[in-house]
Amino acid sequence: MKCFSRYLPYLFRPPSTILSSSCHAEADIISTVEFNHTGELLATGDKGGRVVIFQREQESKQQPQRRGEYNVYSTFQSHEPEFDYLKSLEIEEKINKIRWLPQHNAACFLLSTNDKTVKLWKVSERDKRPEGYNLKDEDGRLRDPSMITTLRVPVLRPMDLMVEATPRRVFANAHTYHINSISVNSDYETYMSADDLRINLWNFEITNQSFNIVDIKPANMEELTEVITAAEFHPHHCNTFVYSSSKGTIRLCDMRASALCDRHAKFFEEPEDPSNRSFFSEIISSISDVKFSHSGRYVMTRDYLTVKVWDLNMENRPMETYQVHDYLRSKLCSLYENDCIFDKFECVWNGSDSVIMTGSYNNFFRMFDRNTKRDVTLEASRENSKPRAILKPRKVCVGGKRRKDEISVDSLDFSKKILHTAWHPSENIIAVAATNNLYIFQDKVN
Amino acid sequence: MLKWCSEPCARYMLGKGGKRKFDEHEDGLEGKVVSPTDGPSKVSYTLQRQTIFNISLMKLYNHRPLTEPSLQKTVLINNMLRRIQEELKQEGSLRPVFVTASQPADPLGDSFREAQPAFSHLAAQPLLPADLVSAAPLEACLTPASLLEDDAFCTSQTVQHDGPTKLPPPALQPVKDSFSSALDEIEELCPAPTSAEAVAVAAETAADDSKDHPSESSVQRPEGVPESRTAEPKLMDPLPGNFEITTSTGFLTDLTLDDILFADIDTSMYDFDPCTSATGAASKMAPVSADELLKTLAPYSSQPVTPNQPFKMDLTELDHIMEVLVGS
Repeated sequence: MKCFSRYLPYLFRPPSTILSSSCHAEADIISTVEFNHTGELLATGDKGGRVVIFQREQESKQQPQRRGEYNVYSTFQSHEPEFDYLKSLEIEEKINKIRWLPQHNAACFLLSTNDKTVKLWKVSERDKRPEGYNLKDEDGRLRDPSMITTLRVPVLRPMDLMVEATPRRVFANAHTYHINSISVNSDYETYMSADDLRINLWNFEITNQSFNIVDIKPANMEELTEVITAAEFHPHHCNTFVYSSSKGTIRLCDMRASALCDRHAKFFEEPEDPSNRSFFSEIISSISDVKFSHSGRYVMTRDYLTVKVWDLNMENRPMETYQVHDYLRSKLCSLYENDCIFDKFECVWNGSDSVIMTGSYNNFFRMFDRNTKRDVTLEASRENSKPRAILKPRKVCVGGKRRKDEISVDSLDFSKKILHTAWHPSENIIAVAATNNLYIFQDKVN
Repeated sequence: MLKWCSEPCARYMLGKGGKRKFDEHEDGLEGKVVSPTDGPSKVSYTLQRQTIFNISLMKLYNHRPLTEPSLQKTVLINNMLRRIQEELKQEGSLRPVFVTASQPADPLGDSFREAQPAFSHLAAQPLLPADLVSAAPLEACLTPASLLEDDAFCTSQTVQHDGPTKLPPPALQPVKDSFSSALDEIEELCPAPTSAEAVAVAAETAADDSKDHPSESSVQRPEGVPESRTAEPKLMDPLPGNFEITTSTGFLTDLTLDDILFADIDTSMYDFDPCTSATGAASKMAPVSADELLKTLAPYSSQPVTPNQPFKMDLTELDHIMEVLVGS
């Protein structure tokens, strides 16, 4: 794959990381990564409830080789830990998802959510301030009116850029279960939030009400065998959305059909392959992420071992299936025991929908070119990535003779997992979250 | 748990030699594509299934989070446990069972055999204590007999299912042979039937007739959704605030007491010795474990642990019958 042969790695860390590279603060673990619609801003959320926004440097004519690095733009505390008194359980402040709203004016808006509450944040810049008030002096102290002899008109003078984030809306108390997804509708007036059993539709302006559009909670909770794992609005059709389940199915719903979209318009499920059946077939079929393509024609799903691309017009099987780390198939029992089998990997499209990317273990992440059918495994690690170094493709050897530079399955570090990645909407820039480190790689084209 | 898993492994993995560690044992199992119908690998299939079953139970019971556990994870683990349970039930329903209420000796064996699928993980050990628990009076014992009823009902249901996910149940003959001889000896020692066994036998008959057993807890699902028996004995609520009702107890109740009682027991005590040391050891451990078990599970229970009474009565029955058996 020509365009991914060379990469320019950068390394970013949240400010409060512990210095040692072997251990890290739990709160610094990155839990979500998302570019905004232009790609100028990159937001990350972490387990400590913080949001860090990076902004791309303007390209300068003087230094054309420094093609727009990302620097920290704003940091704020989005969610705080809470306590549910009824159940005597803590509510984590971990940011599960961030979604940007399209930008209409100078300020940017994003939605961030933890398990229970969604918040709309406004991020705005301030680079001018008024000077020359009559009734107060520059420090803000009130002037004695009797001392004022002349009147002046305050003027705006430039100041150091200040970026401030303010919570504009708080959408709370609508979810009994843990929110796993939020998705902004293409009408930009509504958005949905999905938890394990229900999906709610919100209007941005209204925080004390939401519409319930999907409810799969059974009357008898003991009959519960399936939960919602992810949901997303269609990028162009504001009435269409999909949601995935823990049984490996995708349902496409049309909100025009009824107020409560319990009956799907389309149902996507691949029949089970009998030769691959095991005790863990159901668990590994559970879909951890679902993403529409930018075109809106396809939807991509990630389950434990594969990434699948579905054509919206074909419900009985996916169009393409890509093996992410099939060598783990023989290790499923151990992965079940250490809970790794429940890891929720995300997947992303590139801007042109020709390449898909997803993470794996040992800080590996994989890219699949849908046109050439070629794939590559890359590693996000400090040791292997010096600035301006080229990322070397990695290979996992399954058995037999291990070649040099290959890594054997048993040497994989399952604590280093890449769950969250993001792709710039138009350029070949990717953001990869490896535990508490954020790597940004660019395609180096000179 | 690590300790006792390695013993059956050493027993069945002929030719491997030496004691194997848990990890090796696991990888050895997973590496195979085991089909339940093969001869020798069928045993490893059973072992693998048991390993997974135990892991699943531990996940549900040992998890004490400060935050709410993930519902998705819980549902997936529950589904796994239910599937294994149904497989075991199917295997149990297909084995030859002597269903005669008139013969005093056989009902004991029947309930023993009926309990067999639930305890297949204790493959190497004679399940006398389990047997004796089910021998307790019906009204006093919430767990075994009523759930044997559910067993029968559910078995008949699952047999009707199309169940593409169900693997053909193996004939566990080689495993059972070791029990048959133990069984005969038990039957010789303990001839008197109890009401529980009679009910169990009736349950067997019901299973054969595929009668619609009116049970408040079982829900008829014509679509073929796997049975989930509600917990009429809501003994344990391992998922505080999660499923809102005691979900996982539904499938656990028929296995619960004995399964968990002996889950942690070192298998070295269960070396197959017909009727003597194993039973003595097990019976001594049983009363202690049950109490401890109830204590540990009490915090999880959203309802008062009322079955304490029946359990205590079970244990006195247990002691009594053990005395009879051991002849002391």
